Amino acid sequence: MMAEEWEPKIVLFACNWCSYGGSDAAGVARFQQPPTTRIIRVMCSGRIDPAFVLEAFLEGADGVCVTGCHIGDCHYINGNEKTKVRYSFLERVVKELGIEPERLRLEWISASEGEKFANFVKQVTEDIKKLGPSPLKPEGVQ
Amino acid sequence: MNVGECYLGWSTKDEVREKGASGGLVTSVLAAALEKGLVEKVLVLKKISEYDAEPIITDSVDEVLESAGSLHAVPVGLSKKLGLQLTRLGKKIATVGKPCDVRGMYEMALRDQINIDNTYIVGLNCGGTMPPILTRKMLREVYEIDPEEVVEEEIAKGELIFKTKDGKEIAKKIDELEEMGYGRRENCRYCFVKIPTNADLACGNWGVPKAKQGQATFVEVCSEKGIELLENAVNAGYIELESASEKGINARKKVEQAMIDLASKWREELLPSIPDEERLSFYIKELEDCIGCGACKTVCPVCACGDDSKCTTMISELDNHKISLYHLIRFLHIMDSCVACGMCTDVCPAEIKMSQLQARFSLPFQEEKEYVAGMTLEKPPFFEVR
Repeated sequence: MMAEEWEPKIVLFACNWCSYGGSDAAGVARFQQPPTTRIIRVMCSGRIDPAFVLEAFLEGADGVCVTGCHIGDCHYINGNEKTKVRYSFLERVVKELGIEPERLRLEWISASEGEKFANFVKQVTEDIKKLGPSPLKPEGVQ
Repeated sequence: MNVGECYLGWSTKDEVREKGASGGLVTSVLAAALEKGLVEKVLVLKKISEYDAEPIITDSVDEVLESAGSLHAVPVGLSKKLGLQLTRLGKKIATVGKPCDVRGMYEMALRDQINIDNTYIVGLNCGGTMPPILTRKMLREVYEIDPEEVVEEEIAKGELIFKTKDGKEIAKKIDELEEMGYGRRENCRYCFVKIPTNADLACGNWGVPKAKQGQATFVEVCSEKGIELLENAVNAGYIELESASEKGINARKKVEQAMIDLASKWREELLPSIPDEERLSFYIKELEDCIGCGACKTVCPVCACGDDSKCTTMISELDNHKISLYHLIRFLHIMDSCVACGMCTDVCPAEIKMSQLQARFSLPFQEEKEYVAGMTLEKPPFFEVR
């Protein structure tokens, strides 16, 4: 029996109004995407605490994506601008820890961009497959 | 008197001038502020021994006068002590502070922990403080004197001088001591803020002419509150002032620049860059001794979350993480505001160099954002959102 190919586990935070809609649109329009993501819906990307992202890594995620509405389209005035500020902190911590920068991604995806969502997931999965399992994965976690 | 002006000053009281490190100006300014009712309380260091002191908040002029004299081997963080709500209740407090204390106070003010309008800060120039236990060891092994015999210490012209009870005076070059592993705390060696221009007054002995060395303090007026403090002390007859010469001002700048150059050298040596692929194992190894006591958070002046902080509530005994989430959250959380006071390293019972680890995150981050934590009360520019 052939060993199954390793599939990364990616935690994807999606905001309720745009990127979660985008993932819906991808499904409705039948854009194919690899089943590697675990989507966590939040009301706004501004709700995504950097601690959530760090915890996801520590619990064994091979990659974490932060997605939200395009700048200027936030349904809560400027939630995604705050995400941007927080993300700059996160980026530095992840870089300093020596984790490959490809494992952490920020992308703005609107509710109508189903194709963009599917392509984004494809791209991220491909990148992380090349890198292999995350060095922060705890022992015993697949 | 105007903001930005520089003066030479000294105490009019003989015993304070004798006891103070350079003319007793700081002590006298604080005592005058208390006596004339400019402030209700004063925060000073109460000396216990040459290596130990306790920060106290007092309303007794005598206790303030008693605190005269410098203590280089007592690295106490004063900012956290100040956050005892007194200033928020409207009480006016005068305090002393090293640059890192002052920066800590500003960061606390940004987080609504103290009311800076009610706080008069007399800043002290600082070339660094020394860890008390290591200093005692150094006295025994390098200076070959009994640490308990020391009555006075002084830093002058790059030399660390100790005077003993029987009048002996031994001087050694600080550079040489530091090469041997003694001397200043590591975070002081790579600290770039030597003159606390963010305080109300910046005092020190840099820029004092040779003839007055040890007899006068060089003081820069940095704010309106600084003017109030100085004028009050002059009017109360506690201090005498004269304008500082151009030569003195330049000499002070030169000393500061020399210290900053030395700091960049030390930064390269103490915080060497680690190749990307080895970093994770470096941090895992450094933090593996952590016993989770939380002392580094308790003493941290910029940490204001309180008991319900994310770093303590999001972790659990059952976690099987490679690095504790507590540390990662703290690294991230104070990356923009760490003032590198080094208290976390000092209190760690497992001897983890927390401050040095934090510096690997915060120094490049603050440099990238062109921001130095704790220098102004303005919101950091990178926090601006439309």
